[in-house]
Amino acid sequence: MMEWALILGFIAAGIRTASPLLLASLGETVVQRGGILNLGIEGAMLMGAFSGFMGAYLTGNLWVGLLTSIIAGVLTVLIFGFLVIRINLDQVVSGLAINLLAMGLCLYFFRIAFSQGAFPYLGDLIGPYAIPGLSQIPVLGEVLFNQTVFVYIGLIAVPLIYFLIFKTSFGLRLRSIGEDPVVASYLGINVSRIRYLSLIIEGALVGMAGGLLTISMFNVFDSRIVAARGFVAVSIVILGRWNPWGALGGSLLFGFTEALSLWIGTFLVGPAAPSVSLLLRMLPYVVTILALLVGGRKVRGPAALGSPFSKE
Amino acid sequence: MELKLTKSTVRSIYKAVISIALALVVTSVLFIATGANPILAYYYIFVGAFGNLNLTVETLVRTTPILLVSLGLAIAFKCKVWNIGAEGQLYMGAMAGTITAVSLGNSPLTLPASILVAILGGMAWAAVPALMKTKLGINEVITTFLMNYVAIYFVQWLLSFPFRSPDTLFPESAQVPQAAVLPILLPTTRLHLGVVLAIAVALPLVYFLMIKTTFGYKLRAVGENPEAARFGGINVSRTIFLALVLSGALAGIAGLFEVSGIQFRMRGSLSPGYGYTGIVVALLGQNNPIGVFLSSIFLAAIFNGSSTMSRVLNQPQGVVDFIQGVLVIFVLGSEYIMRYLEKKGVFKA
Repeated sequence: MMEWALILGFIAAGIRTASPLLLASLGETVVQRGGILNLGIEGAMLMGAFSGFMGAYLTGNLWVGLLTSIIAGVLTVLIFGFLVIRINLDQVVSGLAINLLAMGLCLYFFRIAFSQGAFPYLGDLIGPYAIPGLSQIPVLGEVLFNQTVFVYIGLIAVPLIYFLIFKTSFGLRLRSIGEDPVVASYLGINVSRIRYLSLIIEGALVGMAGGLLTISMFNVFDSRIVAARGFVAVSIVILGRWNPWGALGGSLLFGFTEALSLWIGTFLVGPAAPSVSLLLRMLPYVVTILALLVGGRKVRGPAALGSPFSKE
Repeated sequence: MELKLTKSTVRSIYKAVISIALALVVTSVLFIATGANPILAYYYIFVGAFGNLNLTVETLVRTTPILLVSLGLAIAFKCKVWNIGAEGQLYMGAMAGTITAVSLGNSPLTLPASILVAILGGMAWAAVPALMKTKLGINEVITTFLMNYVAIYFVQWLLSFPFRSPDTLFPESAQVPQAAVLPILLPTTRLHLGVVLAIAVALPLVYFLMIKTTFGYKLRAVGENPEAARFGGINVSRTIFLALVLSGALAGIAGLFEVSGIQFRMRGSLSPGYGYTGIVVALLGQNNPIGVFLSSIFLAAIFNGSSTMSRVLNQPQGVVDFIQGVLVIFVLGSEYIMRYLEKKGVFKA
């Protein structure tokens, strides 16, 4: 019985760790379908994490934190949008610039807000919310319906984003831009408008993904808190073949890997235990690289992905 | 070294000046908001960077790793290979070089061998994403960045367990032998041989490589249009591979010089993000070795000067992070401003 509870706890933890990856990779799936490669989501997540923390810390209300993280995510992604859509700059460089901007702003504003050596933390986190009825179902109830609101939002977003991309006229336009923006433009589609809209959707999801790191997972802010999750999310989009269900599968894979790397560490005993647990910290990154090695070879994404487009 | 000021060079200079000016204006607003006089703040940053001989030397010492990393990144960025893994390559090079130095002990071969192994370490770490890019078409931006985390945790593990120094409380390597230490060139300062090697050897070599050799031509051709370069008979994969591996080599040297010239031990805190500062510097310097040199002095000066400024004006540490982040956005945004000014006829297009 004891082992059973442990395993259920581990599965629930894996789903929880997957949730920031899921929200971020769903957002990235949307913009990449429109032909934009946004590598700035690492930075947008960081801005979400910082703003969410500050919003929650200053007001004492975690829901305000959720809102501020979404706003910060949207604003950050819109700066990226200005660079790549309005000025038509290289998407990769613009994404990197956004990441460096976010790192600089969050590091320094955190130091301005709190004196050196201060260790501010959020008292009550957004904890699990058991859905009445459903959470009583054995096994499934415990791992799926006794989770944080972010997990529910992520899981509901999967079919919604799928519907948006494949069943709406917005999605049809978005995908045609992603295949060939020039042709789409000739057909009368407002390329910039659709792309900005897709970026706003991404910004909200990615900002939330960042916010959940501070207001639901760690309750502190650190400038290294995102720890490459944005780049893992981009990898998930590739591995999930630009499909929301694929993003779900990929997020679960990496969420479980991350949970596993921490979980194993708690069971180790003996003199080698600290050494092995430190080595296990590399696991999520190594697994992502290996997954790309196996599943990321010469894959075909949206044809116009990453290439600049200007109407002139 | 002759410097021909072509139209595009002049334009690059305008862009760099505009972006620095705008970044400093935005930072001034921040200073005012936090209750500091911006003129005084910049004055103390300048004094802290160049106020006397020792401070000036310290700025050059700080320039060294930034310059080495960003020269390498300029090579990679020139052919649009986005290596954002210099931080990891720096750590792996430094770690490999330190292990070599400590194992060889005091021998005349120790310093050259450790430099060579650091170069190989940085190259090897860059070769993994380079092969994944050229053989399998996997985006190098993702892999180089993820490998930073692998490198930093791996080095932490090495320093915590197999290569931990028995005589300290912290996870760090043993001290490198005297023969591995880069000699001090100016007594009572920290001006070590590595500073001169970076500025007087690495810089001209990279300049020569990028401007005067066929490899430099290939870099530009692949960066501008890989299809046309392939059609013109250039081995695109090999050019990309070499560019990425060369930038890893320079990051590896940067890491080793920090160990052999400054810290004398390998530590998990060896680099305060030089791998990322290098990206800003390469972009600000528009991938031109001279531009990169000037940009790395500029950022090193702000790095050192801002700590003096923070102390005197009682400001939070590390305004350099803020300036760096704002600067990189303006470096990109300056293109917009240039186009606007050219349209208005302020500059000739």
